[in-house]
Amino acid sequence: MLFRSKKALSHALKGALVVSALGLASLAAVPASAAPTISLLETGSTLLYPLFNLWVPVYTKMNPDVRITTQGTGSGTGIAQAISGVAQIGASDAYMSDAQIKEHPDMLNIPLAISIQMINYNVPGLNNRHLKLSGPVLAGIYSGTITNWDDAAIAKLNPGVKLPNHKIVPIHRTDGSGDTFIFTTYLSDTTPEWSQKVGYSTTVSWPNVQGGIGANGNPGMVEALKSTPYGIAYIGISWKKPVEQAKLGTAMLENKAGKFVLPTVPNAKAAAAEMVAKTPADERISLVYAPGAKSYPIINYEYAIVKSDQPKPEVAEAIRKFLTWAISPKGGNAPHFIEAVNFVPLPESVVKLSQAQIDKIK
Amino acid sequence: MSIVEAKTTMASESLSLSNRRLRISWRRHAFRLLGGLFVTACFFIVAFAFLSIIGDVLVRALPALRWKLFTEVSTGMGGGLKNAIEGTIVLSLGALLISAPIGIAAGIYLNEYGDNLGGRSLRFLSDVLVGVPSIVLGYVGYITMVVYLGWQFSVAAGMLTLSIMLLPYIARTTELALSAIPSAVREAGFALGAGDGRVAFKILLPGAAPAIMTGLFYATALSMGETAPLIYTAGWSNYMWDGKFTNEPIGYLTYVIWTFINEPFAESHQLAFAAAFMITSGVLLLILTGRWLMIRRLRRMGSYAG
Amino acid sequence: MKIPVFRTSLVATASFLPLSLIALIVFLVIYSWPAIQFNGVHFLWTNNWNLGNLYGNPVDRHGQQIMPGAAYGVWFLVVGTFLSSLLALIIALPLAVGAAYFLAESLPKWLAGPLTLLVDLLAAVPSVVFGLWGYSLLIPIMGQKVYPWLADTLHGVPFLGGSPGSGYGLLTVAIVLTFMVVPLISATMRDAIASVDAPLKEAGLSLGLSRLEVFWHVILPKLRKVLIGVSILALGRAIGETMAVAMVSGNALNYLPNNIYTPISTMAAFILTQLESALQDPTNMAVEALSEIALVLLAISVLVNSAARLILWMSKVR
Repeated sequence: MLFRSKKALSHALKGALVVSALGLASLAAVPASAAPTISLLETGSTLLYPLFNLWVPVYTKMNPDVRITTQGTGSGTGIAQAISGVAQIGASDAYMSDAQIKEHPDMLNIPLAISIQMINYNVPGLNNRHLKLSGPVLAGIYSGTITNWDDAAIAKLNPGVKLPNHKIVPIHRTDGSGDTFIFTTYLSDTTPEWSQKVGYSTTVSWPNVQGGIGANGNPGMVEALKSTPYGIAYIGISWKKPVEQAKLGTAMLENKAGKFVLPTVPNAKAAAAEMVAKTPADERISLVYAPGAKSYPIINYEYAIVKSDQPKPEVAEAIRKFLTWAISPKGGNAPHFIEAVNFVPLPESVVKLSQAQIDKIK
Repeated sequence: MSIVEAKTTMASESLSLSNRRLRISWRRHAFRLLGGLFVTACFFIVAFAFLSIIGDVLVRALPALRWKLFTEVSTGMGGGLKNAIEGTIVLSLGALLISAPIGIAAGIYLNEYGDNLGGRSLRFLSDVLVGVPSIVLGYVGYITMVVYLGWQFSVAAGMLTLSIMLLPYIARTTELALSAIPSAVREAGFALGAGDGRVAFKILLPGAAPAIMTGLFYATALSMGETAPLIYTAGWSNYMWDGKFTNEPIGYLTYVIWTFINEPFAESHQLAFAAAFMITSGVLLLILTGRWLMIRRLRRMGSYAG
Repeated sequence: MKIPVFRTSLVATASFLPLSLIALIVFLVIYSWPAIQFNGVHFLWTNNWNLGNLYGNPVDRHGQQIMPGAAYGVWFLVVGTFLSSLLALIIALPLAVGAAYFLAESLPKWLAGPLTLLVDLLAAVPSVVFGLWGYSLLIPIMGQKVYPWLADTLHGVPFLGGSPGSGYGLLTVAIVLTFMVVPLISATMRDAIASVDAPLKEAGLSLGLSRLEVFWHVILPKLRKVLIGVSILALGRAIGETMAVAMVSGNALNYLPNNIYTPISTMAAFILTQLESALQDPTNMAVEALSEIALVLLAISVLVNSAARLILWMSKVR
């Protein structure tokens, strides 16, 4: 009797396996019977991620034959996976380096929009006013030569402001990030010493500052700054809302003309206007530290990194179509998309340059 | 030390020693009291941690628990979890289908013919394989399958990576299950003229089925809850799986927890907690079912397993 | 006699297991070979992880193409990994043994069953859910209430006083890891306690000792080897833990903790969070250096697990 029921159990065991196999097969079979679609994978910049998430549902509703998966993984991943072909569209706040382009000449850097970076701080009592800061002062803070909020260098920029005698906690990104790239570009452009010692990149070797904190991603920066009084951080503009909700301070930055300006869309537009004419055909250019009295100094192109030689023509066509829509002022660059993330739409002449690059995707 | 003292106290009746007995018994009382308090506290701390995890996830998931989760796919910031639920099922069942036959075969070998150098080293290596950090498996999976073989983020890469993780686990539970069967049962089979294969399939596996099944349930639970080996192999997708094994990424619940909690939107956070609630309850349900299955079979039939 | 087909096919199938382990090791050694040559062994005890200027041109160094200024030293990861795991083990051991005794010896059977489940099921909670719990519940409470109070109370005590930080850091990692390894230690100890000869316990009881005293003076010394074995096993588990650590560690880069509230990072979490940045290096050296970390992690886990299994086998625990 024992034997028989064991045998029954073995049947149950086999049955369970068969059922699960069938289940798996049916799961596979059902979606496969639907109309053939093209899958695109977008991965990379966490700054561009919210914008892609606004775009994709609208676009795929109009074009049901294409599926676009979005992933916020960091600009480094965006570039790398676009090169390796794992992702069709790599999103990046930073353009590819000369060395990378030399090695992969078929990679395109296509601006989709213009982004702004804020310098935020958490100084109790001063968060409601806009402290004035400059590149050399920020470089001093991040290399540990300016350690206190009432340091003479900060006091000189902010006459009449009662600065606290408290240690500054500089917060930086630990993941490979386009935000780090543009922030360190600003520091390098304004401070020769920083340029020599640290330089600019998506990850840099941060000087060892006593008490300095590392944070992961833009939301990590907001969280870290929120919980760290007397901290300072650089945060992408698409996270403006959480920054405001946390009642953190936003700094006015010194631009090339020596004026202190806020990270607003008009100031970013002013800066972009100065740089548009200088944008080369491959569109790899830093927009940081633009001339002009109204120009906000830390802005950048948000790139789609795409391989020009796609393995299948229908995939190439799907990418072309989507990106053309994305940069069009009637499509993805329409105000209701761009303003939702506080970006700046592409100027007309840059749209033309981007379109010329998009047409190269074959 | 106090054993010796206890013995001394019991053995002796002299006045000087009875003074000492007072002191000793005070210390022993303190030991019993504090020790008792300590072990009780230990248990309650651990139990409290468990309940607070469940409670935290449940309370914060509640506002997001709607039908929409099962009927809509996720967008980048919100939406439902239909695609992730499907992906979790596909990946863990797929991994189980790959690893169960191999793992069970290895388990049979280990228990039936493994009492030699080969078997011992196999057992040892599989125990070591259990301890390999899952991120290492994921990393190797990424470099080999995703990039080198050109499968890209895909169901196959995710399944294979998971199944490597499950293999040693299933092998060991199978071995343990079989080891509970007395050798007389095998001898009876051989005496009736059955060969190795017949004995294994007709006698041993049926006999050990409840324990093996329980092991498979646990293994499935294990693979459902994994994240690190999948991030760089299965990737992530906002869509339902289209049935392709390579060059098509797939979503899964644990990914939602890991990334959506990092988004600056309340809706994303709710979705992360909803995913955590589903995966945790799914895993616990599997484990409890496995246990229940084991206990029920044991009770109903009596069994070899102790 | 004919060839034993069944046995042969069993052996062939079973050999998948050791083969996959060997393949893992061989693959990692081959893949990280350029990094091993470039970094040498001092890789492990220098403290400088720097991908170099990714926007420069690759330079040739010791016959390897690297980015200018690139250096790969992971001492901070080695320290973070071992400190967090050891700290977790120190907290977990008494907790798990206490809970094991409470469940195995001091409760009536009808109560022990369901209560045991509370501890055992902790092992089934996915690690990313542990991370979520740490991130959403532990860090706000610890960072804003407990750590400032603790650091203030222990003011001046090395490693325990000082700046309480933000909640992300060594102690939080250790607490999360603690609850991940407690069920493992507790379950093994419970089985081991049950396997101790009943006459031995009764002898102790008949001498007038309480159950707790019997446990402390008779049972626990007998189970010393099991305890050591399962502790090492738990250490291995903690060292390899990825998701939960990455979510609560604060992801420190290139510096060592100066107290238990300081952010850290571990080897496993670092591979997870840095592979993305490393992929950007056109010379691929950064990815190979990460592969070297994976190899070190694998070697540690093989060593730790081998040691633990040997000890457990000697004490007849499976």
